Amino acid sequence: MDTSNPAPFVNAELLKRYPGRRVRCVLKVVRAEGNSSLSGLTSDGLHISVKQVPSVASLSQFVEVIGVVDSDRTLRAEICTNFGDTFDMSSFNQLVQMANSEYQSLFI
Amino acid sequence: MGISRRVYPLVTLNPYQGNWTIKVRVTDKGPLRTFRNARGEGNLFNVELTDEDGTQIQATMFKDAAEKFYPKLELGKVYYISKGSLRVANKQYSTVKNDYEMTLNVNSEVEEALDEKKKIPEFCYNVVKIDGLGPHVNGRELIDVIGVVQSVSGILSIRRKLSNEEVPKREIVIADESKKTVTVTLWGDLATNQGEKLSSVVDESPVVLIKKVRVSDFQGVSLSSNPASIMQINPDIPEAHKLRAWFSEEGKDAHMVSAGASLPGGGVRTGSRSIFADRKFLSDVILPTVGDGKPEYFNVKGYVSYIKPDQAMYYLACQSCNKKVTEDSVSSKFWCEACQKTYEECSRRYIMTVKFSDFRGEAWISAFNEQAEALLGMSADKLSELRSQDVESKVYSRELEKVTWVPYVLRISVLQTEYMNEKRQRITIRSLSSVNWEHESKYLLEQIASMKKEA
Repeated sequence: MDTSNPAPFVNAELLKRYPGRRVRCVLKVVRAEGNSSLSGLTSDGLHISVKQVPSVASLSQFVEVIGVVDSDRTLRAEICTNFGDTFDMSSFNQLVQMANSEYQSLFI
Repeated sequence: MGISRRVYPLVTLNPYQGNWTIKVRVTDKGPLRTFRNARGEGNLFNVELTDEDGTQIQATMFKDAAEKFYPKLELGKVYYISKGSLRVANKQYSTVKNDYEMTLNVNSEVEEALDEKKKIPEFCYNVVKIDGLGPHVNGRELIDVIGVVQSVSGILSIRRKLSNEEVPKREIVIADESKKTVTVTLWGDLATNQGEKLSSVVDESPVVLIKKVRVSDFQGVSLSSNPASIMQINPDIPEAHKLRAWFSEEGKDAHMVSAGASLPGGGVRTGSRSIFADRKFLSDVILPTVGDGKPEYFNVKGYVSYIKPDQAMYYLACQSCNKKVTEDSVSSKFWCEACQKTYEECSRRYIMTVKFSDFRGEAWISAFNEQAEALLGMSADKLSELRSQDVESKVYSRELEKVTWVPYVLRISVLQTEYMNEKRQRITIRSLSSVNWEHESKYLLEQIASMKKEA
């Protein structure tokens, strides 16, 4: 298992901490733009856009995007995984906050 | 004024970098208080600051700084602030989620931001839905709730036993899309001023957002305010609009149920219990002191790890009364002692033990017909058919293996019994349910929060 480049859990406000780095984020799909972009809502309630999404049409309501941070509000997708149509964003947001502060050593 | 306009996100601030400016809204303002310690006395007050990203931090001002900034920092307004100092937060005095807290002194710079006030959210909130309050009962964290007001009581005056002062109290009932209601008790100022306002508009079914309430188990679940709580009537936020839309479409005629009814200590049905109330790990339950004399009840979450294929599994049962029947080997009929009748046929009912494991331990647990049927996914009659047809026992043992490692929450009874002069512990499944991961996650978050507070 390749553990050389772990992708930390992020939400919108944490994107700016990892510019150009690979991160993972769960989004609620708001709108598909074209056939390879989407606009989504992060677990902290902000909109970000994702480019280079493979097969936008077959995505469920909640999607995990693993990709590179392009700007404070955009991601360039590498892998998208369907997480179904129900997902507890508030618990996930707490996970993201904990994984990036006091429990960071457990994750990275 | 010389403030560098490069605005830093609150989350990047730390004690070692002093040259920053933040743009924040005062989302909470405490009263001006006096303190006295070994070094002297003076005034102080706290504010809660929130920036565009939703990060919050508590800022305190002492003595001269308190005098200077108390009139200047107004609740709800946005300011550019710089030249404050940061240090690690003293969690005893702060209710804000931030590792650091800020102090402003007389040299700090505070300038009202007259531009783009809309960018910073008016206040931060993270609401828990009324039917999701269960895992938060008796938790240490203060939570936020939002709902449509169903009723507002008059002001009651409670006399505090200790200080003998009168404290005003008002009870309101709120409901949300889960069609569940919960009572919120407002104390002090919230009960008099804002409570009065709420009372005057109650006929319009206003939406109310209440931040930082405590969740107790009174009547199953109830919420109560405290000095840190903030109430907003009809706030301009998406959740409020959604609630209003739901209410006018179906909510106003819907039949509501109290959220506390399905929780322990609440409602008439005390048979149904919250699956978090008596939650234990298997390592705690198998101790020899448990269930000594009287049966004790717990909830455990874990997995069936093993079912022994060569155990009795089921008994022959009377189809009328479910008690054990004896087979007459000559006539192939079944005699029921309880009914005093002979029957042509009998049914099979499960009586078996399974090995149940969680990450702390394992135990052998008995399961009777209903629960065993749920665990195995087939009736005892079907299983016995399979077993008799299966010559090499391969299909049979595979069926038993198939159902292992499925997560369940079990309600179990534990009792110490004596069997042939030996003390043995008998654990039985009373009921089982599949795991609701959303609720389990919330329960874990509560546990983490309370462990942190203890540390």
